[in-house]
Amino acid sequence: MTAGLLLNATICFAITLSSFAFAWVLARSEHEHSDKSKPALWALVILWSLVGLTYLPTTIRMIAAYMDMPILDFMMYNLAIIPFSFVTVPLVFFIMYVIVGEKRISAYTSMLFVLFGVSYLVFLYTKGVIGPEVSTFSSIFMINSDVAINIYLMGLFVIPTAMIIGLLFLIFLQRMPKRLRYRTALPLVAISFVFDFMLTDMITLVDAMQLAARIFVLIGTVQAFLAYFPPLTLQEKLGIKRYPYELYEQEIDIDKEIDEEEEDIDV
Amino acid sequence: MSEEIDVEFEQEVAEFYQSLGIHQGPGDMQYRIILRVLGRNEGKITEFSDIRKYTDQFADKGSIGSKMKTVFQLEGLVEKVKRGGYVITDKGVTAYNFLKDSTAFYKKNKRMGEIIERMP
Repeated sequence: MTAGLLLNATICFAITLSSFAFAWVLARSEHEHSDKSKPALWALVILWSLVGLTYLPTTIRMIAAYMDMPILDFMMYNLAIIPFSFVTVPLVFFIMYVIVGEKRISAYTSMLFVLFGVSYLVFLYTKGVIGPEVSTFSSIFMINSDVAINIYLMGLFVIPTAMIIGLLFLIFLQRMPKRLRYRTALPLVAISFVFDFMLTDMITLVDAMQLAARIFVLIGTVQAFLAYFPPLTLQEKLGIKRYPYELYEQEIDIDKEIDEEEEDIDV
Repeated sequence: MSEEIDVEFEQEVAEFYQSLGIHQGPGDMQYRIILRVLGRNEGKITEFSDIRKYTDQFADKGSIGSKMKTVFQLEGLVEKVKRGGYVITDKGVTAYNFLKDSTAFYKKNKRMGEIIERMP
């Protein structure tokens, strides 16, 4: 088999590692967040863990394809689509919670996407998949159910993507400090990147497109990391660096200060 | 223009503007309530008692009367048509519209602040 499959496996492994690492770092920073932002934080931790859980079996899948083991490839595909089907659940909870601020409403809405995920899995498992078709760069399965593809497109793709775009517009239309804009918009762009390319990865029948989608998922994960932990040089370049200062404390004599200011003006 | 006037909410909005260093106009609670009552009664005579119905909760009669004279009448936002009776002018309606915009800005800013607060 070709080295292209190994490259694919390496990219998948990199996505797995980076998304698990990101989820872990986010979870560890829990104490730095306020009670209001904790539900959204945990939704993000679950989201990134699900991304990792999707790409871990996918890594094994690619290795299996490289080693010409179609049964293992098939098994890992069936395993990978389980976390993949539920990626929208924490994502919808995150967006709903950030916009509405109600935990209960967000939970009910995301439950709807659990149903979408479950029905997608039911149709996919009952109708089965065709494959694997191993090529230079990839191993591809074709979904054998039109209903599953429709659920996938409408429930798992269009609605959550529209939600992300809506939230992004809401942020871009508001005037706010650069630092806050960066901190709020970039994670959303990163999530959108990862999410949309993950879906492209799962549905495509073109091997080069699958590889490209996975590269973009990896870029998205790195982007999310940069959104939360921007390096100093990037902070300086974007003008979002916080100037380190200490408060200047002195007893204020207003009359004296005004006199001094007037003297300055005279000069 | 028959909307209800929520004194507590107006207080909240005024405090927001005061926190930005704007202590007059949109940051002045008395100004906000008086203008709201006048705007609501556009095309009709506003009795001083209509204004006092809301302002008595936080200000005395004297200071409201003084505000009517020194700000609203002096700047031509209202015209006195009888003893204790005022009519809002076109300029006053402009001020009222600006006040409504200031409320909308407060709401938008508050909503966005809450969204940012909830973002991890």
